[in-house]
Amino acid sequence: MQTIHTTRLLVRTRWFAGIALALCAGIAMANMSSISVHNPRIRLLPGDLPLAGYFDLHNGGKKTVTLTGASCPDFGKVMMHHSISRNGQETMVMVMKRDVAPGKSIHFAPGGYHLMMMKRKHEIKVGQELPVTLHFRDGHTMRVNFRVGGATIQ
Amino acid sequence: MTARWTPRTGARALVLVLATGMLLGVGACSKSSNHATNNIQPAADHFRLSNITGVTPSLQFNMTDSNGKKVTAVNYRGKYVLLYFGYTHCPDVCPTTVARMAQALQELGHLANRVQVLFVSVDPTRDTTKVLREYTHNFGPHIVGLRGTSAQTQIMANRYHVTYGLGKRDKDGNYVVAHSSAIYIFDPNGKARLLARATDPAASISHDLRMLMGGA
Repeated sequence: MQTIHTTRLLVRTRWFAGIALALCAGIAMANMSSISVHNPRIRLLPGDLPLAGYFDLHNGGKKTVTLTGASCPDFGKVMMHHSISRNGQETMVMVMKRDVAPGKSIHFAPGGYHLMMMKRKHEIKVGQELPVTLHFRDGHTMRVNFRVGGATIQ
Repeated sequence: MTARWTPRTGARALVLVLATGMLLGVGACSKSSNHATNNIQPAADHFRLSNITGVTPSLQFNMTDSNGKKVTAVNYRGKYVLLYFGYTHCPDVCPTTVARMAQALQELGHLANRVQVLFVSVDPTRDTTKVLREYTHNFGPHIVGLRGTSAQTQIMANRYHVTYGLGKRDKDGNYVVAHSSAIYIFDPNGKARLLARATDPAASISHDLRMLMGGA
């Protein structure tokens, strides 16, 4: 009896979850459609050296969105980093979030913010496109293909 | 001892006042004449990078190149040398800087054959000869990686007031190396001439190299 009850509950929960997911997806699409990503690229370095991912993100919506991270199935670890100058030395700090106000853009560009992509899972070649998922604070995600460029791309 | 007015100090003061006046007068004249000629002909070309001639020591080191060969500054006599301290696990600033040098060399065309880029590793533990070779190879034929023992690296960095420090290791053993990001430019005799900062574009580097080569 207990088992049947649990199963029913599970089924019911799944139904709810399904509807909730569908609703969320709808909202996500509506919301994410106002976000646009331009010039997504990865600079390739040899071996297993960490790579930098760059892009521009524009918020065409009416609310501030907050980028909280990124992931990519081709890498074991992707972090948001910021290259900064401190006491005459260049260093990097980890970034947990970046707000993008309505109508504004943020830039992940050489010498500043970048995605630090580590532990590649297989060989990567120039010209490939790798799927990167951007994560936002409200739970929405956005998949963007990043083009792999040579060591000298900026 | 207190300062006292004497005829001698008075005379000195007068000379000083006169001299200052003359200098100011000359300054004013040259300023106005500059102003007058500016419309007729452009001012003489100047270096866009910082001039470090006579300030920074000449090129000198004992290191190993990315082919495993022991080298000193003498090996690069006859070339304009671009010296940069970095490390290969640096995903952003280092490749951005090296790419900027590669861009400058591209702008120089065949003159790039007179230039040698030296990428000195401040992380000799991870930057083995092989890693350095593969890394520098990606940026073109005019760049070579140098590594040394910790002592050799420290001596070389100290000579150019380059500081670096290893950051905390994460759980995977990875760490950031904070380091100075300037590019030092030496003439074919190994004499320090110019310094390029992170904000100086490739065009300024190629422009100044042309000037150094006498072909501005």
